[in-house]
This record gives sequence, structure tokens and C-alpha cells, in this order.
Amino acid sequence: MKTRLFKVVGGLAALSLVAAGCAGEDSGGSDDEYHVLVLGGVSAEGVLADNASTSVLSAKAGVELVNKNGGIDGKKVTIKVVDDQADPTVAVTKLREAIAKDKPDLVLNSGPSTVADATLPILKQNNILSFNIGPTETSADPKAFPLNFDLSASAQNQLDAFPPYFEEKGYAKIGILHGSSSYGEVYGAASEKTFDAAGLDVVANEEYDVAALDMTAQLEAIRSKNPDALVLDAYGAPLGYVLKGVEKLGWDIPIIGNTSVAATGLISTEPPSGVLGTPAVKNLVMQVYKSTAYDAAATDTNDMVARMKAIDPIKSTLIVAYNNDALALVQAAAEKAGSTDPKKLAEALIDPSVPEKATTAVIGTYHFSADSHAANPAPEEFAFIAPGPLKDGQFQ
Amino acid sequence: MTLIWGGLSLGAIYAIVAIGYNIVFISSKTFNFAHAQLTMVGAFVAYTGLVKWHLPTVLVLVIAAAAVALVAAIEERIAIRPVGDMHNILVTTLGASILLDGIAQLTWGSQPLSVPFFAGDKAISLFGGRVYPVEIFLIAIAVLLVVGLGFYSRRSLTGLALLGMAEDREAALLRGVNVRRLAFMAFVAAGALAGFVGLFVGSKTFAVSTLGAALALKGFVVLAIGGFGSMPGTLVGGTLVGLAEAFASRYLGGEYANLAVFLILVTILMLRPAGLFVRTKERVV
Repeated sequence: MKTRLFKVVGGLAALSLVAAGCAGEDSGGSDDEYHVLVLGGVSAEGVLADNASTSVLSAKAGVELVNKNGGIDGKKVTIKVVDDQADPTVAVTKLREAIAKDKPDLVLNSGPSTVADATLPILKQNNILSFNIGPTETSADPKAFPLNFDLSASAQNQLDAFPPYFEEKGYAKIGILHGSSSYGEVYGAASEKTFDAAGLDVVANEEYDVAALDMTAQLEAIRSKNPDALVLDAYGAPLGYVLKGVEKLGWDIPIIGNTSVAATGLISTEPPSGVLGTPAVKNLVMQVYKSTAYDAAATDTNDMVARMKAIDPIKSTLIVAYNNDALALVQAAAEKAGSTDPKKLAEALIDPSVPEKATTAVIGTYHFSADSHAANPAPEEFAFIAPGPLKDGQFQ
Repeated sequence: MTLIWGGLSLGAIYAIVAIGYNIVFISSKTFNFAHAQLTMVGAFVAYTGLVKWHLPTVLVLVIAAAAVALVAAIEERIAIRPVGDMHNILVTTLGASILLDGIAQLTWGSQPLSVPFFAGDKAISLFGGRVYPVEIFLIAIAVLLVVGLGFYSRRSLTGLALLGMAEDREAALLRGVNVRRLAFMAFVAAGALAGFVGLFVGSKTFAVSTLGAALALKGFVVLAIGGFGSMPGTLVGGTLVGLAEAFASRYLGGEYANLAVFLILVTILMLRPAGLFVRTKERVV
């Protein structure tokens, strides 16, 4: 009899422990704290590591900002950084571990699209609110991922800013030169379509192999069509080959580079290591977010830079510092929703008044909607600037 | 003419890489797939010497040649010597190339770095076209290397021994040629050459960690067109590949550049399976 009683009590105790464990998994941490998990390829190589460092730094700066302003729905925000090595397999394993151990309330995905592709289904399954830097085909689709929001601008968002600039400068005939990468091909096709729709005359649209070592032939082909300006998609060494080619041809043409051009260290570095200040870049302007160009009057951006600098040096441009904005957006959404429930926060984020009110710094206003969770920044969010030295993630 | 200068200079770079492949092939009948990466390391060493240490060009050339020769010697000891089978060496040298790519990225980063050129970086007009001084130097180096190595292989004892090894390794061994030592020395010499030309190649292409991968395939295509083991073949192959790339990019579009090169390769291999400058031999059974 005694043995049976022990068994029943023991069984009940075990059940209660399991139940408590399950409850713990769903609760998302203690009541007075809001847990943020940042995924980033901190130990990846080269540019990926620098970008991840800036993303993580911006998340920490964002946490500091919201905690200073009373937290999220009154809860103190805590942050945990997980190094996913920019590898989808590692990201999936570490995310599952993190959810099992202490389910986060918010996940900031700072890695490339491949990582987002792998982790978004897990986040959806666990009803976790997330913000994403590397967009995928479906990441901004609320039907596929109702609790995910994309922070970066799409190629189309960036291209929409070009026609007003061309009009201002009086460029009517446009030449396009783009890489053979998947992004480059999409960019080449989308740019021609956008410029055509804007009534511009696209006289040439040339592609180069991203492994090629000389672009003079493509440039000659474009020059033969006599455009007013050249739109350029290039990153890394190919950008250097294009600039060398233009200089070799003695071609005096305005070059308008996309955000990939702005991310190449060569143009923000003075000789002998780089080409900043040389004749090679005299006709070059590049597209950046306004926040990536230093402006003494931009108080929100300058405040974010100060917060980031106080934690660690900023290793890449502010174009990847979106995580700061993600936290400001969640704070504003929680204020509107009066809750930290992920569904209520997602509903609040598509209310235009929420992003309007949020103290964001990289993009002034995000335009999430019921049909699209993409950032959709307005053309006015972008600027076309000449290359300059990079300091604290901003062109000076 | 600008297009022709561009094609010729690009072809010269491919030919220089193919010459490095050939030196190793003649001496040991195998390929060093990491040779293009050795050229890349040479470009990085040249960058470091010129930009970071502010050394004179001549000294940088010597240091780059010595440093890359040392890397090649280490590669020979680790990736070639312990591996007996020639087919396995293809895999181990490929591994060495991946290793060198990674080390270069970790050491110098992934952003392109300018390698200053001693004869200036302003384009000049020549025979109706525009060309950078470094491009003229690259063409001259490729021609001089082929002429010089051809002369050396026929007039020097070591050169004759190398040719003997290429013809029949066992017969050369029986004639008293230290085959192992000569093969090692040829490997190191190819490394020294890669280091020496690194400054010239880097001045045109930048020192960048993707350079090795970009050069390796085209260098191999040049070798296949000209014929494995033929030095004059590298010049002809390099010229064909460089010009085909330039003209296809100009008149057909950049997406056809590689297609044009491989079309030439396939046509030549169908007509002359051993390459343009190598005769097909009947196998003795």
C-alpha cells in the first residue's frame, strides 16, 4: 500500500514538474523582463563579421535606448547575442537551443538571407516576434510569416530614389552596368524596368562577370550608346576595375553607384591603399541612406552613433545598424498595444502611427502594412553623395 | 585598340599563371592547382612591402619572390612530397589553394587593396589605344619569360635535365639526374616567379583574396589550349583567351565572355586533343 502511495505521489510530482517546465517554455521568461535574442555571424570572416559586429552593436545601443525610456511595456529589456557564424545550420541549432533553454520574446536576425530562410519557420512555430535584415522571398509576407518584419530596403525601394535624382541633374539617357551575381542580375532587370517606367531612356544595360578582372570592354559598349549617366552595381574588386576602366578610356561620365558601391572600402580609403580623392572617383556619387552620411542636425542618428561608440568601435557603415530601430519600433508598438503579446505587437506595428512615433535612426519612417511587412522606405530616405572617409559608420 | 591592349594584358596574366603551371608540370608531371593562389600571395606581399613598410620596389620584388618561394617549398613538403600518386596530388594542391585563400582573407581581409606601380598609374596613348603602363609590363614579362625559359631549357644543363625528366623520368634517373631535388627546385622556382610577378599582377587587379580563384581556371584553360608543357603555347593560349574575353564582352555582352573562351577551348581540343603546340604521341605497349 505504502509503495503504491509513493508511486502515485511521485508520479504527480513528476507530472507537475513537467507541466511547470512546459509552462516555463511558453512564458518567455520572467514577467518583469523582455528577452531579446540577437543572431549574428560574429565569428564569420571579413565583411560578414564586420557587418555582424555593427548589427549586434546597434542592438545593444537599441536596448540602452528603450531601457532609458522605460523599457518595453514597462519591462526591462535584456539582450543575449548568439554567434551563428552566418551559417544557417549553426543558426538553426543555436536558435533551437536558445528557445528550449529560455524562450526569447523577440529575435533580431542580423545575418544573410540564407540564415533568415532557415530560422523563420522555427520562429513562426514558436510564435516569436522577429525582425530580419536579410530578406527572403517570403520573409515580408504576413501570410507566410505573420510575426516577422523586414528591416532592410529592397532593390526596388532603392531604385525608386533614382528617377527624382536624374530629373534634378537633367540626365535623360541612362546606361546600366551590373554584376552577374543573382542580386546583380535582379538589379539590372529591375533598374531598366524602373527607369523605363519613369520615362527615362535606357540606352545600354550591360553585365559583367563578377570574377572578371577587366571591365573596359563593357564600358566601351556602353560609351558607344552615349548615355548621360552610368548606373553602377558593383562591390569589391569589380568596382575598382570599373573605375580603372573609366579612367583608362578617359570617359567623363557621371557614375551613380548603388549601396553595394558605398559598402566597398576601396572608395572610402585614401591612397595608396584606396582610391578616395583620386581622379578615379571624381565623377562618382553613391546611394546611401541619409543616416549613413554625417549630418550634425540628425539628432536621432547622432545619438545612436554615440550610444554605439560608447559600447564598441563601429566596424562597418550604419546601413546594417537596423537593430537599433527594431527595438525602438517594438517599444512604440508595446506602448500602443499595452502589451508584449507578439500578435498584438505585430498588429500595432502595421498601424502607421507606431513607426511614425518610434525613435528610429537608420530609416526615418518604416512603412509596414497589413499586406507587406517590408520596411518600404520612401525615396526621400536616400541620398546620393560623393565618396568620403568613413568614420563611426558614416561618410564624412 | 584599347580593347586589344586590355585583352592582351589580361591574356598575359593568364599566360604568366600558365607558365607557373608548366614549370611544375615539366619537372614532375603534375599540376600545382595552388599556383594562382601563390600569385595572389605575391600581390599581397607586394602591397605590404610597398604600402605598409614603404620599401623600395626592387627590395619588395626580392622579398615577394623569396616569401612566396618559401610558401611553395612548404606546400611541396606538405602537399606533394608525402603523396605518392599523381592523381592524389591534384586533390592535395587543390586543398592547398583553399587554405591559401583562407589565410589571405584572414591576414589581409576581403576588401581589394591597391598595389602602387612604380611606372605610374596614369593611362597613356599607344598605337591608337589607351593602356596603363603596368599592362605593357605584363605583356613584356609574359613574352620575356617564354623566350628566357625556352633559351634556358635548351642551353643549360639544368634545363636539359628538366626536359629529360619531362620526356622520361626513369631514364633521367638512370642518367644520374637527381629527379627529386630538381622537381623540388622547379616547384620553388615557380613559387619565386609567382611572388615576383605578384606586384605587376596586383597593380592591375588589386590585391584581393578572390584573385587566386579568378586566375586559376583561366590559367588552366590557357594551358589546355597551348598544350601541357609548351611554353610558347601559353603565350598563344593567353592571347586567344584574353582577346576572346574582351571582344565577346564588347560585342556580345559580358555574359558571353566565358562562353566564347570555352567554345575556343572545346574547338581546339576537338581538332588537337593535346593542345596547339604539343604533338600527340603513340602509346608504347
